[in-house]
Amino acid sequence: MAKLEASDAVVFGISIDSPAANNAFAEKIGVTFPLLSDMTRKVLKQYGILKMYNVQKEEYDWAQRTTFVVDKRGVIQSVEEEASAINPNNAVAVCTKLPKK
Amino acid sequence: MRQTRFRILIVAAVLAGSMVAGAIRAQEDVKVNHTSLKVGDMAPDFTLLDNHWKQIHLSDYRGKKNVVLAFYVLAFTEG
Repeated sequence: MAKLEASDAVVFGISIDSPAANNAFAEKIGVTFPLLSDMTRKVLKQYGILKMYNVQKEEYDWAQRTTFVVDKRGVIQSVEEEASAINPNNAVAVCTKLPKK
Repeated sequence: MRQTRFRILIVAAVLAGSMVAGAIRAQEDVKVNHTSLKVGDMAPDFTLLDNHWKQIHLSDYRGKKNVVLAFYVLAFTEG
């Protein structure tokens, strides 16, 4: 996180959970960045990362774990999906390389 | 005779309707299952509530900050 802040980046976590659930989750795991609620799945659809999960033979559409790095011009600089999105090192590396201004 | 023609018309209409519905469904599947965004694309703007019920607009960070968007499956899970 310190490295990301030093590279002039902000972080947002995004899921379909409610703000209340996200707040409880944020307190539990001690995150310092905001967790955003996409309860209508609008943003997940915009970003094309709704994924079907089968739980006890019922299908649910939740987010696919994905990390995007967006630069100051609003341009996507990095897309990481699934397992590789768990490790933040690449996102940090991308942000560090981006121009400061 | 007129009745037969009417029946054929109905069958044709139902068939056409289901084909259109199928095509729409297929399109939705594509949209849902593949990340369409690539490096170099503009990130779609959004407004979402954060965990303190405050509105966050992605566009507010334009020209100010780089933004890392970390989409996760569900709160309180390892996913």
